[in-house]
This record gives sequence, C-alpha cells and structure tokens, in this order.
Amino acid sequence: MFSTLLEQVINGIVTGSVYAIVAVGMTMIFGVLRAINFAHGEYYMLGTFGAWFAIDFLGLSYELSIVVAILATMVVAYVVGQLVMRRMVGAPAESGVLATLGIALILQNSIIFTFGGGYKFFAGGYIEPVEILGFSLAQQRILILVVCLLVFVGLELMVTYSRLGKAMRAVSQNVECCGVVGIDVSSVVLKTFVLGAALAALSGVLTAPVNVTVYGGMGEIITFKTLPIIIMGGLGNVRGTFFAAMILGIAESLVATYVGLQYRDTVGFATLILMLMWRPYGLFSTQARF
Amino acid sequence: MSLTETGQQTRRLDLRIPLAIVLITVALAAPFIGSRYVTHSLIIALIFMLPAHGLNLLVGYTGLLSLAQAAFFGIGAYAAGLMAVHFGTPFYLNLIAAGLICGALAIPLGIPALRLRATSFVMCTLGFVIIGQAISKNWISLTRGDMGLSGIPKPYFELGPLSFTVSGTTNFYYLALAIVVIFTLLAWAIVRSPAGRNMVAIRENETLAESLGVPTWHYKLIVFMMSAVFAGVGGCVYAYYLTVVSPLTFQMYYSTTMLIIVLGGGAGMISGTVVGSLLFVGLTEALRVAPELRMIAYGFCLLVLVFWFKNGFAPLINRFWNAVGGAK
Repeated sequence: MFSTLLEQVINGIVTGSVYAIVAVGMTMIFGVLRAINFAHGEYYMLGTFGAWFAIDFLGLSYELSIVVAILATMVVAYVVGQLVMRRMVGAPAESGVLATLGIALILQNSIIFTFGGGYKFFAGGYIEPVEILGFSLAQQRILILVVCLLVFVGLELMVTYSRLGKAMRAVSQNVECCGVVGIDVSSVVLKTFVLGAALAALSGVLTAPVNVTVYGGMGEIITFKTLPIIIMGGLGNVRGTFFAAMILGIAESLVATYVGLQYRDTVGFATLILMLMWRPYGLFSTQARF
Repeated sequence: MSLTETGQQTRRLDLRIPLAIVLITVALAAPFIGSRYVTHSLIIALIFMLPAHGLNLLVGYTGLLSLAQAAFFGIGAYAAGLMAVHFGTPFYLNLIAAGLICGALAIPLGIPALRLRATSFVMCTLGFVIIGQAISKNWISLTRGDMGLSGIPKPYFELGPLSFTVSGTTNFYYLALAIVVIFTLLAWAIVRSPAGRNMVAIRENETLAESLGVPTWHYKLIVFMMSAVFAGVGGCVYAYYLTVVSPLTFQMYYSTTMLIIVLGGGAGMISGTVVGSLLFVGLTEALRVAPELRMIAYGFCLLVLVFWFKNGFAPLINRFWNAVGGAK
C-alpha cells in the first residue's frame, strides 16, 4: 500500500519534470510577450518528430537525435519568432491568442500532412530498468529527473545573473522603459522564444522513449497540460512553475491510480479552478503581476 | 462589386435597400441555388452564429475574452438531446429549456470566474470546456459516455390541427435560418438598448463605468449568462441537426472557432459576427476536401487576420455598406 503510494509519487515527479521543462519556456515567453502561447506544445511535438526522423530515416543514435531535434526545432522557432512573435510585442491579448492558434494549426497539420496522422514507434532511449532503494525505475525516467533539475538550476542562474536574463526580467516588468534605456525588446523576445521552444523540444525528446509512440496531434495535449501549470505557478515565475508542475504531476499520478485513469486529463484544470478561487494570482504571487 | 461602382458614380443613389432585398432573397433561395453540400455548410455556419452572437456580446461589447462558449454549447446540446430522447418533449420546448439551463448554470460558473482578470479568466473558462468534456465522457448512466446520445428525433411542430416534421436538409435550413434571425434581432436589440451602451462603457474603462454608476459586476454576470443562453440554443439546434450528441461537442476547437468568428468578423458588430460565421465556418466546411491542407490554410488565414485586419473584416463591411449607400 505504502510502496504503491510512494511509487506513484515518484512517477508523478517524473511526469511533473516533463511538464515543468515545457511550462517554463511558456511562462518565460508570457513574461516578455504577455501572450499565451497556444502553440507551445507543438514545439514539444516537433522535438519528438525531429528525433524520430533522425533515428528512423537518418539512422542516427538517440544521443545525436536529441541534438538534431533541438536544432531543428530552434530553426523553426527562429523563423516563427522572426515572422510572428516579434510583432506581438504590445499587441492586445486577442491577437496573441489568434496568432498562436494559427501557428499551432500550421505546425501540427504540416507534420500530419508530411508524415501521416498515424501513431509511430519511437525506437531510441534508455528503457532498461534500474533498482534504486527497492524501486525499479527506467533509466530514461532518471535521466528526465536529472535534466529537469539541471535545466531549472541553469535557468535560475541565467535569469538572475546573465545579461539576457536581466534583460528578460526588465522586459517583463516594463516594455516602454526597456526601449528608453536601450534594451532591444524584439531581440529579447526572439531569444526567449527560441529558448522556450528548444526547452519544449528537449522535453519532447526525453519523454518519447517513455511514451513509445509519436503522433502529430500530441502537442495539443501538452499545451493543455501546461496552461494550468503556468497560471498556477504565477505567470512569468520560473520557480513557481517548477513547483506547480510537480504538484500537478503528482496529483495526476495519484488521481490516475486511486480515482480512475479517465479523470487524469481533467486534474490540471480542476486544480487550477479550485486554486484560482483561493489565490487568484497564482500560488506563489501575492499580487497581480499582469 | 459592380454595385459599389454604381454607388460611387451616382453618389446620391442609395442602393442599400435593393442590396438588402437581394441578400434576403439569396438567403431564402440558398437551398435551391447551391448543392446539398452548400446547404449543409450554410446550416453549420448558421448554427455557429448563435454561440458567436453570445460571445460577441461578451468579447466585443463587454470586453471579456472567454473560451467557455463550447462548454455551454455542449451543455445545451446534451440538455436538448436528453429531453428529446427521454421525455419526448417537442423541439421548441427543448430549445427554450436548453437556453434556460445554460443560463442558469452560467450563474454559479460565472460568479467565481468573473472575479478573475485577463489571462486567468481565459484559462478558467477554458477549464469549463475540459471539465465539461470529462463529465460527458464519464457520467455514463446519463450521457452514455463516448458512445454518445443517438436517435434524437426530427424537430416536430404542432399548431392546433396543423403539424409538420422538419426533415431533410432544405427544411432544416429554413428552421435554422428562422432561429438565427430571431436571435440576431435579439442580440441587436440588446446592443442597441441603454444596457448595450453600458456594456461598451465597461469594455472601454471598467473603473470609469463603475464610477459613473454602472453596476459593472451585475452587468458582467448578466452578459455572461446571456452568452450562455445563446450558446445553449446553438447547442440544441446542433444536436437536432446531427441527431447525435457526443462528448466531442465539448471541444476547445469549437471555442476557438467561435472566437475566430467574432474577432475575424469584427468584434463589437452584429454584422461582423454574421459575416464571420459565413466566412470562417461556412467556407471552411465547404473546403473539407483535404483536411490537413484546409487547417494549414486556416492557420495562415488567422495570421493574415492578426497582422493585416486587426479589427476583423468589419471596417471593410462598413465601407462597402456606406459605398452602396452612395456616400464616399
């Protein structure tokens, strides 16, 4: 009984890590653009498809396919960022919703159009189980945990100390003032966007061996999972996003075991609505930031 | 387009009434002009016009960006479907019931949701759709889950000794057209009333509106309720048209389609919503030959809209209408 519970919590933390890596990119993009990126899950999907393509068609190893996938996604994100996202600075919320929905439709259906809509088998990854403290856990899941921790430590350092990180925080506080003191807002937006998309792709490649299948519509589900997380974490808040993702991952895992698998996908939004009643500005913010 | 040119040449000649007559004739004769498939596309466009009018009141006039329309659309569809299948109640009763049930449900959902601002409100309303779908999937004893409710009878009317059943695409087109005309006029009446001006005041500046004595909270709640009524009625017509209700009625895709209709047609304009649904639903429904390419085209269309037609197509319609009226 207790060991099942613990196992589910650990599984939840792994799922939470996957969500956290995707969500942190989305929340940073929101921070600088004030736009909800409805296309964010599609970069996760592009990452997995990139790796699948590299393994199945180019015959590369899993390690190399990670690099190929992330680079390919960054190129796509760069083009989208140049053509669309840069122009969204200062645009009303409705334009952001419409534009990112449009991008989601284009990316998702281009992939389905090129590769077909069916499920594809993902061959790479480290799926051997290892025993830790009496639990058996696939190597890939441990890798996800480690990468997630590294990503968050790295981002925390970057946001606090690096030039780009400082510029990102400045842009998320006041766009006009950034213009006045000479921060190139649209370049910061573009860099943040490409970074966020690359993180989503990384998350996608890391999860693909666990999920085994790859299909064109997978990005949409991830978008819906990450939307409640970024609100719960407090929009634009990197640390908050990490904890919100963990809470949601564990909650999903427990609900799937003890209540029923069919309720799993509802947990995110149900938790979000309950939380908003109690703390309208997110779990970790005491006042409205945006 | 030739109408525009004549209007510009003569300047004073008002061609708006002839144009209106032509449009009404086209609307009435549409099932006989186009093929059955065109009629089907038009019916879908008309059905989506109902929740879109509701959303226009919310987004276009009161300035609240909501994605909850698909939730009320689904609730309306299920309410009508369940009543028709289990109680065998007539169509018009189910239509009213669907609207009222959605309106009543909008109050407990709206009270907490409307306390939220901007992005949180959008996400909360999106949550209603996701949770609605989960309930419709898992409350199997009531909704039959993924199998859906099937066997919804054809709309049936009884007026004293006269009675008739609406069957076939052409007849259904007229039924949908009649309902849509009633609700479009209703939306128009709401917008034209003093209440409509108060709604616009809330959209422009909520604090200022409140300081001028507009009870903003009550207004927002009532508009949210009205938008739910419109969506519920739309859901009812949709259920009767498809004769099946499934959890797929609760789709985020429907919410975004309705949002695209309103923003693309021109938010804060009744005619914008009418044109928007014909354009974005009717046209894409008619282009359903290659689904992926169609969605890609749709995506590009959204980008064009955002970058080149920031206010939707409403300004274009206005200019055309004025040109037809002889103004320059």
